[in-house]
Amino acid sequence: MTGQRAFQKYRITKEAFKLLVDSLARDMKVVGPVSENGQTAFRQVGSSSELSMDYQSTMLPPSKVLFYKPVEDVLRFDMNEDASVTETAAENEKVLALGIHPCDVHAIVYLDGVFGEDPHYMNRRENTILVALNCTQVAEHCFCASVGTGPHLNLREGYDLLLTDVGDSYLAEPVSHRGEELIGGVRAARVDELLEKDAQEKALTDAMTKQVDMDGLDELFMKNIEHPVWARVAEDRCLSCSNCVMVCPTCFCHDIVDETAMDLKTVRRLRRWDACHDVHFAQVHGGNPRCTRASRLRQFVMHKLNYTAQFATAGTVGCGRCISWCPTSIDLTEIADEIRRSPMA
Amino acid sequence: MKNPLVPIKATIRDIMEETHDVMTYVLEAEGDAFKNFAPGQFNMVGLPGAGEAPISLSAIVDDDSVHHTIRAVGRLTAYMEKLGKGGHVFLRGPYGRGWPMDEAKGKDLVIVGGGLGLAPLRPVVQTVLNDRDSFGSLTLAYGARDPQDMIYRAELDSWQSGIDVLLTVDNVPEGAQWPHAKGLVTELLERAEFDPASAVAFVCGPEIMMRFVSRRLIAKGLSPENIHVSLERRMRCGVGQCGHCQHGSAFVCKDGPMFPYAQVSPFPDGLL
Repeated sequence: MTGQRAFQKYRITKEAFKLLVDSLARDMKVVGPVSENGQTAFRQVGSSSELSMDYQSTMLPPSKVLFYKPVEDVLRFDMNEDASVTETAAENEKVLALGIHPCDVHAIVYLDGVFGEDPHYMNRRENTILVALNCTQVAEHCFCASVGTGPHLNLREGYDLLLTDVGDSYLAEPVSHRGEELIGGVRAARVDELLEKDAQEKALTDAMTKQVDMDGLDELFMKNIEHPVWARVAEDRCLSCSNCVMVCPTCFCHDIVDETAMDLKTVRRLRRWDACHDVHFAQVHGGNPRCTRASRLRQFVMHKLNYTAQFATAGTVGCGRCISWCPTSIDLTEIADEIRRSPMA
Repeated sequence: MKNPLVPIKATIRDIMEETHDVMTYVLEAEGDAFKNFAPGQFNMVGLPGAGEAPISLSAIVDDDSVHHTIRAVGRLTAYMEKLGKGGHVFLRGPYGRGWPMDEAKGKDLVIVGGGLGLAPLRPVVQTVLNDRDSFGSLTLAYGARDPQDMIYRAELDSWQSGIDVLLTVDNVPEGAQWPHAKGLVTELLERAEFDPASAVAFVCGPEIMMRFVSRRLIAKGLSPENIHVSLERRMRCGVGQCGHCQHGSAFVCKDGPMFPYAQVSPFPDGLL
């Protein structure tokens, strides 16, 4: 997946790219953006004609559709004399994933830091060829430019191939040998095409009106733990519904649950998504450190914007999904702005 | 790649009654994964169908056995109480960083425990006693609700040489013999003798107790960097994946569960 040496840059027509996808679809599962009823979602496609590569955003992020699944079987206990443990086997399914936006590639790289020792996650990661796609439009809640994750992808590892839409063609930049093998052989990109890509990136960045000033935010938030914005937004608007967590491409929290079979002969231990908005999330025998709704909202927002020491990067990738899918339109960038505008003395 | 969530089976070899509601389970596990744990580390202890809970390793022993001292307060521990000798439990670990023993070398060490909080501190006392010359003075201040709630009573008596053992209880039942103090564990610290400029403190107990103990130690001159507290947070995985134990930017399971007071006291949602 990682490539240290510089790879050649290519140009491929969209028609040729579609043919390439269709030929690969015979040997592997192809997952990409599909639009239906005004919504785009990542799902398996049978043919390249189903793809909607010019989408804005999806509800569920590709990191969760492809790698970090809502429910994951971990192991099974057989309740015989020995009470034996059987580890759930890895899948080993080859996948070609297409059209991953820059913010979502960053989110996948973030989750690699969490699940690097999880064999199921890493197995899917290694068996998936990741084709990223630079954005061509700015959606209402995007703020990737503020956090350095878009609108164009500047990472050079963690995926295989980067596409940029240049009219009837894609500029195709492999960053791994797998990416090179996928695309190699088509015409090399010309300088004017590379310049067009740079111009696109600048125009998109300028068009992004939503911003969050990340400079010194860690320290500012720590000094404003008791800022009135937390209680006000939490009590007036937050429903603790956890939509923000479910759609977040970097939210990794989960519960580990035992399910006993009806015949009591086996117990299935599984992992499933959990959310810090749940009142019991942090509950221990001695008490609940986050028993107020304000403290739970603050935990979510601070985990995205603050706590950069955790993985040497912010938890947010600026995709704006938590804003789009909040039933009461709570906006973490507005919370950060309010704290910056009127910090506690 | 080995899945860190897959546990190792262990058999209950012995159950020692510490108090009327606290038991020490002596377990024999397959392999030697738990043999050389650091004082303060914990295991995820589990039962099929009842889930897992983080429980500290409570004794350094000569053989391969694994000791966990448990009070039945939750679902898992209630089920465990029903298991007798020969029953099976499942272990993962050892997890966490443990107490910073190296930091305490050559210095006075103040150990403060409340209730069951003595369990992860017992391996510290054992380590110091096995290597007594490497440490300065050793004070153990231990408090419990009443005399019957004190764990490791026999050892507390045997430890008297080489350690300043100070005991207190909240409450002495009528007619009970209690030659020690009555009141808060913070008051015991007034009787402890140590060099506050260099002393290191290890504190484990209810969070509210750790708050007042830490403040009293700071008032006596200890640096907040040298006071280490053991935090209790919900844990599901023990390996920094499930996110439940997050406290500030830290994962309590793998970055702790012991932290310098100075590091965690500014975090939101703590009692420190």
